[in-house]
Amino acid sequence: MDALAIEDVRKSFGGVQALQGITFSVAPQEIVGVIGPNGSGKSTLFNVLTGALKPDSGRVLLNGKDITRWPAYRIARSGLGRTFQIPALFENMTVLENLLTASVEHNWDGVHERASAVIELLELQRVAAEPARSLSGGQQRLLELGRVLMREPDLVLLDEVAAGVHPNLRKLMLDVIRAKREAGTTFLVIEHDMELTGEICDRIIVMDAGEVVAKGTFEEISSDAHVMEAYLGVSVE
Amino acid sequence: MELFASIVGGLLIGGLYVAISLGFSVAFGVLDVVDLAVGMWVVMGAYAAVVVQDWLDVDPLLLLPLYFLFFALVGAVLAPLIYRVRNNRYAMPALMGLALTFGFATIFRGSLLTGFGYTPRTVRTGLANTSWNIFGLVLPAERVAGFLTAAVLTLAFAWFLYFTRSGLAVRAVAQSKENAGLMGVDVKRTSTLIYALYTGLTAMCGAVMGAIYAMTPELGPRYTLFAFFVVVLAGLGSIWGVLVTGLLLGVLQSLVSTFWSADYTLLVVFLSLFVVLLLLPNGIGNRRSVA
Amino acid sequence: MSAPIRRRKTSSLIVLGIVALALLTMPFWAGSYNLRLATNVLLWVGLALSWNVVCGYAGYISFGHIAFFGIGAYVTAILMQPGVGWNFFATLPVGAVVAAVIALAVGFPTLRLRGAYFAIATWAMAEGVRELATVASITGGSGGLVLPVKSDDTFFYWCMLAATAGAYLVCFLLLERSRFGYKVKAVRDNEPAARAQGINANLVKNQAFILSAVIPAVLGGINAYWITFINPDSSLNTILTDQLVVMVLVGGLGHIWGPVIGGTVLYLAQQQFVVLFGDSTAYIVLVGALVVLVVLFLPDGLVSLLPGSRRLNLIRRFIRPRATTTTGSS
Repeated sequence: MDALAIEDVRKSFGGVQALQGITFSVAPQEIVGVIGPNGSGKSTLFNVLTGALKPDSGRVLLNGKDITRWPAYRIARSGLGRTFQIPALFENMTVLENLLTASVEHNWDGVHERASAVIELLELQRVAAEPARSLSGGQQRLLELGRVLMREPDLVLLDEVAAGVHPNLRKLMLDVIRAKREAGTTFLVIEHDMELTGEICDRIIVMDAGEVVAKGTFEEISSDAHVMEAYLGVSVE
Repeated sequence: MELFASIVGGLLIGGLYVAISLGFSVAFGVLDVVDLAVGMWVVMGAYAAVVVQDWLDVDPLLLLPLYFLFFALVGAVLAPLIYRVRNNRYAMPALMGLALTFGFATIFRGSLLTGFGYTPRTVRTGLANTSWNIFGLVLPAERVAGFLTAAVLTLAFAWFLYFTRSGLAVRAVAQSKENAGLMGVDVKRTSTLIYALYTGLTAMCGAVMGAIYAMTPELGPRYTLFAFFVVVLAGLGSIWGVLVTGLLLGVLQSLVSTFWSADYTLLVVFLSLFVVLLLLPNGIGNRRSVA
Repeated sequence: MSAPIRRRKTSSLIVLGIVALALLTMPFWAGSYNLRLATNVLLWVGLALSWNVVCGYAGYISFGHIAFFGIGAYVTAILMQPGVGWNFFATLPVGAVVAAVIALAVGFPTLRLRGAYFAIATWAMAEGVRELATVASITGGSGGLVLPVKSDDTFFYWCMLAATAGAYLVCFLLLERSRFGYKVKAVRDNEPAARAQGINANLVKNQAFILSAVIPAVLGGINAYWITFINPDSSLNTILTDQLVVMVLVGGLGHIWGPVIGGTVLYLAQQQFVVLFGDSTAYIVLVGALVVLVVLFLPDGLVSLLPGSRRLNLIRRFIRPRATTTTGSS
């Protein structure tokens, strides 16, 4: 059974077709990258998957369960976690509190121990008692990732999680993602950084103008002329 | 016939609601703070006219531009404060913005109560006992004058928004502060400008309103609710929507007071608003939630 | 890091102990004037606390909170009328339930939207309740209702103490010591992120609003029995809401002890004002000016000035670097 299956999902805003029948699936423990130019519908797709937007038609299955049109919090409770393109933190709360918040609707047993473990894993010890708004951009992204991990989701959606992150932190982040995958978590990532995509993704989905225009491994994709044109804007004769 | 007369009377009043709500809606869009003092600007405009008629021997409606200047000046002084609260880095700036305008409204209300007491006041104009009979329909001159004033103000305001450079800046800021700022628009100055225009405009409408309905300092919240009713129903930034719902509110108010009792106007308006919010949860106005 | 925190905890426990001791022994040493004063302070602290729950914790500003106070007062008054004759204590839960139902009716459609909708809706609710109380016959119209007289200030002191202290305990446990508090604050700080954590934001906001509506209803019931006569002007006056807003803002929004400080300081200041200037509407100007000043210069309230408060550090760290261009105060 697929961790995530998307079947002919469509969404339009007024006259603009943001998603024109997206279909693909993600197997358990896979890391799948979604790439495409700005406005290709990646973020809309994420918002539909998490319940922030309701699709016009089509189905979304999480672990075989139809979650289409569920409210966001119910989808989250059935095992989907996400980060936002702009880190969405509870900025008046401390780093520790941000992590604890993640478990209020999840497993509350030993929550402080798990939070300490996540803080250690992401090397946030020094700022644990600081309010989230005082963190640097890279640390905010780490904290957001940590908050997602606290919920032990089956499927994690990462929206440009490494954008603007210092190389050291980025390496730490990628190590954590790989380790979690080994432990059984599935990832779907939006990424503009082709290098990073090549580094961690097993498979890549290319979107353009609300459609999936190509699927394949990083090597297949980067040798595909159509994709290079759509994504990098270079025409390969 | 009574029904028809009531509707026409309501439309005439509705013109004033359109003018008030339009400025309110645009100021909301630009400052990103709902000005809870909007009703108090109306009331204060009326009391300015009352002061004029008490102290000077002129028809208070002749001095409309004076009220505009005075209250635009007050607005220009207050606007930077709202801007600062809304854009600083304290916790919950949106909520603090509401609290600030609420504080303004409270100061205005307390000052008027201290100065004039609870007794209702009416603006007396030379038109008070005049009315025109058109095809058997009796039109009180004050209402017609109010409607004409409102129509002129609305047109002038729309012209400012759509045919001047500053108006373009206002619309740009209402769409996106960040982008407007990047395009070189001085967001703070634009906010001050629009808030001053809106307070001046609202106070002028208030002066006219004071000739039609008696005013007390306690009526502020009522007009705030009216302005909010119009803006919510119309959808943000929609001039045509404001036009329709403003007139609709006037008619609703007129019908309630003709066929039931003026005492129930507020309840009816509130219940209509409630039903609208219940049926159209994402409001009309699709901007993301802030506070 | 942990040592100063522990010292702070010990010292605040000592302060808490002294205050509790003073409150519990008050009827035995305070004169009747002071006892009445203390009862009123407790009333306002409780009301301010309830407003802080919806505004400071849930992040939605309510301008109609006094309606719940009035509802509680009227329910108690109506149920204790000669023909009905309920026991006083039995009326309090009824008032609480009525307030909760009305809170749900107002909150359900508006708490999904941004704060201004809720602010105006609550404001309109208060006006509506007042109009209703003024015209309805069951509420005695503008004349109001008279309750059975019980002139026992000590009894009402105990009632008010129990209600306010109880409300405090419940709010403290729920908001500062339980998962519910995390939910409320998470929704306040970032609603989309909270939803992505599995938090049912609408439910949480409505729960917080109902909690904050029940407290004033109970206090209103006690107060009505105490003052033995209620009318729309005394129990549903808009100035009461104004006063709540300023008390919480002055004390410290979203801080559990803010309402104690703000409620006490402002109630005593108001009494002093009445002594000096009489019952003047100039007081309303003063309240408004205080709201404006606090919002502009001390947005975290007096609590932020307590030594060692995290908020003070926060202010220092984030506002000071900008202080030259912004406030230059606080």
